[in-house]
Amino acid sequence: MKADNYNDTTDRELLDNFYASHQNEWLGILLQRYTLLLLGVCMKYLKNEEDAKDSVQQIYLKVIQELHKYKVDYFKSWLYMVAKNHCLMKLRDKNNMLPVELTEKLTAAPAEETDWQALVQNDQALDHMEESLKELNVEQKQCVTLFYLEKKSYQEISEETGYTLMQVKSYIQNGKRNLKTMIEKKMKLK
Amino acid sequence: MQENLKDILSHLSPDIDQETLLLYLQDKLPATKKHEVEKSLSSNEFASDAMEGLQQFGDKKQIAHMVEVLNRDLKKKVAQKIQRREKLKLKDQTWLYLAIFIFILLIVLCYMVIHRMLQN
Repeated sequence: MKADNYNDTTDRELLDNFYASHQNEWLGILLQRYTLLLLGVCMKYLKNEEDAKDSVQQIYLKVIQELHKYKVDYFKSWLYMVAKNHCLMKLRDKNNMLPVELTEKLTAAPAEETDWQALVQNDQALDHMEESLKELNVEQKQCVTLFYLEKKSYQEISEETGYTLMQVKSYIQNGKRNLKTMIEKKMKLK
Repeated sequence: MQENLKDILSHLSPDIDQETLLLYLQDKLPATKKHEVEKSLSSNEFASDAMEGLQQFGDKKQIAHMVEVLNRDLKKKVAQKIQRREKLKLKDQTWLYLAIFIFILLIVLCYMVIHRMLQN
């Protein structure tokens, strides 16, 4: 089985094939899609290249074992949770800290995603958007406008505004979150 | 304008493939493509966390090689499990053949013993 042959196959289909046959090869194809992301997440938490590589391999094993035991519906969010938990446990072992284990329902759709989608489909929310955009602080308003409305990259925004890349990213993220809160408040009031 | 405003609220972006992410990391994408990747990252916590980590690697060009090695190891792991399963299957069959052989041998022995006893 070559992973390239399954480029058009969805995660769900690969997982279904695995559950039907219990052949780990399906999981091999599925996990390969996430190697880069897993490496990145492990590096973010562990801050060490070798530890990150080792952890990716350990996560592979854990995923293969767990999927033989449980049925997972949303593979990507589940895998992200497994990876984060693994890193947090590693950090705990290293620093003798208490684990902050993350739990997530295996069958539930990622809550935040459905939340945002409900909002985007609501015409009322869009009506409040322009108004709320004006209420953001200067930095957030500037970055959100340049990013979403003028479709500029972080680099371009950084060059135009003089903010660092990290600041640009943070202003956009916080701005987006604040917009959501403001719109929800306005909708409740009406 | 309305569509662009929708973009701010939309939290569903298409997944970014690994190759595009690697090109982004090496700063080899044009500005428009960069924006697309960043927009996708802003609504994808997994990819966004991963990007933060990947940016901490000293040599970004080495990342593709690391991924290749990890994928190769993964393939081996998956294949090893299959081989082990097949070996177990063979072992199971050997035991089955051995059991049948012993069973037949016992029947023959019993037959011979009974036959001799009857003759005596």
